[in-house]
Amino acid sequence: MSNVHDNVENSLVKNEYTKSKYIVFLVLVILASVLPFFTTNTYYIMLFDQILVNIIVVLGFNFITGLTGQMNLGTAGTVAIGAYITGLLTVRCNISPWIALLLAIPAGYLIGKGLGYPSLRLKGFYLALTTIGFTVIVQLMVTNLSDLTGGTQGVQRIPGFNLFGISISTNESFYYFLLVCVIIAVLISIKIIYSKWGRAFKAIRDNIDAVEACGIDVADIKIKAFTLASIYGCIGGALFANLSGYINPGTFGIDMSFNFLIMLMVGGIGSIGGSILGAIIVTMLPESLRFLQDYYWLIFSIIVLIFVIFQPNGLVELFNKIYKAVKSKLLKKKGGDDIVDHSKVK
Amino acid sequence: MLLQVLVSGIAMGFIYSLVGYEFTLIWNAASLINFAHDKFIMISAYIFAGTFVIGLGTNPIVAVIITLIIMGVFGALVAVGIFNPLRNMPSDLYAVTGTLLLARILAELTRLIWGPVPFTIQNFITGVVHIGGIVIPQINIAIIVVSVVFLIFLQLLFKKTKIGKAMRCVSQDKTASSLMGINVQRYIIFTIALSTMICTVIGILIIPTFMVTTDMGSMIGLKGFAASVVGGFGILPGNIVGGMTVGILENLSILVLPAIYKDVVAFVLLILFLLIRPNGILGKRKD
Repeated sequence: MSNVHDNVENSLVKNEYTKSKYIVFLVLVILASVLPFFTTNTYYIMLFDQILVNIIVVLGFNFITGLTGQMNLGTAGTVAIGAYITGLLTVRCNISPWIALLLAIPAGYLIGKGLGYPSLRLKGFYLALTTIGFTVIVQLMVTNLSDLTGGTQGVQRIPGFNLFGISISTNESFYYFLLVCVIIAVLISIKIIYSKWGRAFKAIRDNIDAVEACGIDVADIKIKAFTLASIYGCIGGALFANLSGYINPGTFGIDMSFNFLIMLMVGGIGSIGGSILGAIIVTMLPESLRFLQDYYWLIFSIIVLIFVIFQPNGLVELFNKIYKAVKSKLLKKKGGDDIVDHSKVK
Repeated sequence: MLLQVLVSGIAMGFIYSLVGYEFTLIWNAASLINFAHDKFIMISAYIFAGTFVIGLGTNPIVAVIITLIIMGVFGALVAVGIFNPLRNMPSDLYAVTGTLLLARILAELTRLIWGPVPFTIQNFITGVVHIGGIVIPQINIAIIVVSVVFLIFLQLLFKKTKIGKAMRCVSQDKTASSLMGINVQRYIIFTIALSTMICTVIGILIIPTFMVTTDMGSMIGLKGFAASVVGGFGILPGNIVGGMTVGILENLSILVLPAIYKDVVAFVLLILFLLIRPNGILGKRKD
């Protein structure tokens, strides 16, 4: 980052982030940390845990699909690999889940490079096609190599984490552990988004020719974004395996990839807040529609479809509009003029 | 054995070719990929088998015609209601998400209307034919004959009729075609309706092999993508070449590999081609 202009712009954007969004983030963290005190229902705690795992995966997914604008439908495949690494290593080889969690990072890196290289050098839909293929291959392999993976029976009794002799395997304690993971994931995401890489990601989405003209290696940046997505996905998968204690191939179908895509779209593409919101809404909404019984999944899909057509920028856009309206009203009272442009904050 | 495998490979190859054809049409006309196409295939099989042949006891030939008309209208409605608004969005993501959600809605509707239990039509193109020493299932012959006839029909439609020529114009250059007085919007709707009708043909042809289930089209739909990339993405004849390659190699793989890897072959081919020859067998190098 030798460029002076780069640094100035970077610090400007960063400052803006620190001012408003960090406070919101802090409030959210505090709210999230007291949340388990309001319910004793283990099912809800389990659901909250699930949301936190989903947030991690969607944050990663956001790099490639939200920021860089490349369609990735292989999230389920990466999550499956992360989950099976943890599952098999801890159950079959008695390796500590911590090491398995760490191993998810190189695994994600390899997937990212391996799949990104053939498909991201080309323009167009190729990544979508290869990642779909990848997910199908992973699911087929995991189902059919039953000697290694347990086949359709899956892997059972995956042990939980142990921290200095204290077990964090109950849903409540695991909730706090996941919360810490999510906070780390969010902070890393912020760091990356407001770095040189993050700006290149967004530039590729907005105008790929301009990026090329600036002398940036487009394919390389795209592969970086995809690798980040796979690393987040693998970590999410490892945590998912620890959370549910049982994994089977049926979970990791194409449908799971679609779910993550829907989370991103509903929340708002390209935004950290959007990823978090989307993960929360899309995990919770079907549960709250359960009273519709047989029709709940249908109604849910229709709601989301209408939402995508009429509110393409997601829930975050709605919140931003409200925020802007409130702020301009306040400023008018004070007699101040135009408000700061918030469209940069994503 | 080898000949038998080859024939079933060619039959599956034609199915993949049709799948490739069907979504390449939409890709060329509206530059979006219809990820709901496997559900279009599935729902036409349900309408044909569930409602007409089994439910109402209609003669299969009449049922085919009625299903084609229903699905054509359905395709046009989908084009107006979902594809047209999504086509003009700033990013491809919306279109993909829209078609994926449509797929889910269709799957759910099917489950609610026809129930989750798979079924099939009794005595619908079953049985085998003995030619020389080899045994060929009738359905494979039916698939090959119908596909060839249908592909020739499509070729004539595109080359000889005014509608077909207009469709080709729209897929080549939208601005120029609207300057020539072609109603671009309308021909996109036509193309999507035609593509949906191809899905119907596929859906009916695969009933004896795959039964009528909610995910009967999934694997075929995905392999159709692979076939299309292998043959040359966006090129209509490329779909036939790619479909044949995938269909035959996949069936030959049974002879050397354990049967469980059969479904993997198509996707390995996809990734190999992206690495070595991204423009496909028939594709020209652009740069």
